[in-house]
Amino acid sequence: MARALRWLFLAVAAMLQNPSWADEPLVVVPETSEVNINTDFAGSNLKAVGAMNGPGDLIIKVVGPQQEATLSRETKLGPFWVEGDTVKVEGAPSLLFLYATAPIASLLPAAEQEKYGLLLEGVPVQIRPQLQAHAATDWRKAFFRLKERQGYYYEDDHAIRVFGDRLYIADIRLPGDLQVGDYFVETLLVKSGKVVGHTTGHFNVRLSGMERWVWIAAHDHSWLFGTFFTLLAMLLGFALNAIPYRRTV
Amino acid sequence: MELFLPIAHMDVNVVLIVLYGSVVGLLSGLVGVGGGFLITPLLIFTGVPPIVAVSTGAAQMAGTASGASYLHWRHGNIDFKMGLILLIGSWLGGGSGVYLAKALLHSGQFGNVVVFLYVVLLGLIGVSMLIESLRAVFFAGAAGEAGAGAAAASRSWLRTLVERLPWQLRFPASGVRMSAVGPLILGAAVGILTSLMGVGGGFIMVPVMIYVLKMPTKVVVGTSLFQLLFTTAAVSVMQAGVNHSVDPFLALILILGSVLGTKLGARLGARLPAEKLRLILALVVLAVAVKMIVTLVMPPSDMYDMTIEAH
Repeated sequence: MARALRWLFLAVAAMLQNPSWADEPLVVVPETSEVNINTDFAGSNLKAVGAMNGPGDLIIKVVGPQQEATLSRETKLGPFWVEGDTVKVEGAPSLLFLYATAPIASLLPAAEQEKYGLLLEGVPVQIRPQLQAHAATDWRKAFFRLKERQGYYYEDDHAIRVFGDRLYIADIRLPGDLQVGDYFVETLLVKSGKVVGHTTGHFNVRLSGMERWVWIAAHDHSWLFGTFFTLLAMLLGFALNAIPYRRTV
Repeated sequence: MELFLPIAHMDVNVVLIVLYGSVVGLLSGLVGVGGGFLITPLLIFTGVPPIVAVSTGAAQMAGTASGASYLHWRHGNIDFKMGLILLIGSWLGGGSGVYLAKALLHSGQFGNVVVFLYVVLLGLIGVSMLIESLRAVFFAGAAGEAGAGAAAASRSWLRTLVERLPWQLRFPASGVRMSAVGPLILGAAVGILTSLMGVGGGFIMVPVMIYVLKMPTKVVVGTSLFQLLFTTAAVSVMQAGVNHSVDPFLALILILGSVLGTKLGARLGARLPAEKLRLILALVVLAVAVKMIVTLVMPPSDMYDMTIEAH
C-alpha cells in the first residue's frame, strides 16, 4: 500500500511539472483500476490521489453501476406483519458516495448540485409497475432512506485531505457486498459557488479466483454445477462419516 | 474469520456457521433426529436470503445423510422397493416444490411462506416433543408408551384407507402389503417440504411409516434415510438448476460442522439421559419458533424492505 501511494504521489508530481497538465484545474489518479472480490473480501479501502492548481474546494463523487432492487412494504395480516406490495426500482446506481472538503450544500447552490448529480435523493429512478405520483414518491423516499441506512448512499464532508492547496487524497471505503461492474470517480473543483474544474476516473469491481469460478458455474452451467456439487457434498459427508466407521469395524 | 459467500453474496463468520452445523449435528447425535429444521431458520436469522438458506439446507442434508445411509445399507436396513416408490413421490413433489418456490420468489412471497411454514412446523414439533419428553421424565416412560398407543389408534383410519386404495403391492423386506398410492403421496408431501423448507422430512416420514404403513422399526430408519438422501440430493440439484440458490461454501462448512457435532453428540448421548436430552431439544425448537413468531408479531422498525437482484 505504501509503495503504491508513493508511486501515485510521484505520478501526480510529474503531471504537475508538465506544463500541459498544469493548465488543467484538476488531475485525479485512482489508486487502482481494479478491485477483486474473492472469498476473503470484506470490503476495501481505496485512495483517490489528485492535484489542483490553486486553492478551492473539492467534491468527489463515486458512482457504482446501475442495479435493480425490489422494494417491499410490510402489511398487517391478522396479528402478523408480512411482506405486502412490492415494486422494482430501476436505473439507480448501486452506490453513490459524495466526498467533499465542506458540506456540499454550503459550497454550491441547489441548482448546481442538481446539475452535477450531487443530491443523494436526486437520482432519477424508475418505479415498476408505474404508480400515481403520490404513491411513487413514498416508494422513492423509502428506497433512498434504505440505501443511506445500508451505507450505499452517503455524503462525507471531511473525507478529503488537501495538502498545501496542491495535492489531495480521498479515502473511498467500499463495503463488502459490492455490485460488480464499472465505478466512476468524478472530481469537481469548486470556487465561489461555481464548478470551475472537472475530471473523471474509474475503477472496475469484478469477481476473482474461486468466487468468480463458482459464480459463473452456478449461473451459466447451473444444472451441471448443481449435479457436481451435490455429488461432492455427498462424497464429503460419506468420507467424513463412513470411512472412520470402516476403520473401526 | 469472515468468508464471502458467492451465491448468498454476503460475508459470514465461518466459526458461526461451523457452530450452527455443530449444534444441530450435536442435537441429532444426542437424540437421533435429523435437525435440518433448525439449520434453515438459523441461517435466515443470520441474514442469508430464505431461498439460499432452504436450497443450501437441502444440499447439506444430502451431504450428512450419505454416510448414515451407507451404514444402514450395509446392515440391510433398507426396503429398496418401498424406498423407490417413496422416491418417485418425493421427486415429483420436490420438482413441483422447486417451481413453486420459483413462482413465490417471483411474486415476492417466498420469505413469508417459509417463515409461516417454519412457525407451524417448529411449533408442532416442539410442542409434541415437549409433551412426550415431560411425560417420559415425570412418568418414567409408561405414559409415553400409552401416548404412542393412543396416537396409533387415532391413525388407524388412515391405515384402513391405505389398505383400501388401488395398486396393492407386497413389500417383502418390510413384511407388509399395501397400496403404492400411500407411499407415493407421503413421498410427494415430504418432497414439497424439502423444496420449500430445506428439511429432510424424517419427522413426518418415520411416524407415518411406523404407525400408518406398519413397517418394522428396523427398516423404517434405514428406508427413510435412503429416501431422504436421494430426495435432498435431487432437490439440491433442482434448486441449483432452477433457482441458482445453492451456496457451495455455506453447504460445505455446514456439513463439516454437523459431522463433527454428530460424532460428539453420539459420544455424549451414550452418557446422558435420553429423556432430558429430548427435553432440551424440544425447548431449543420452541425457542426458535418463538423467535420467529416475535419477528412476525412485532411491528417492523421500517415498513419497507429492500432486496437486491442477484448480480
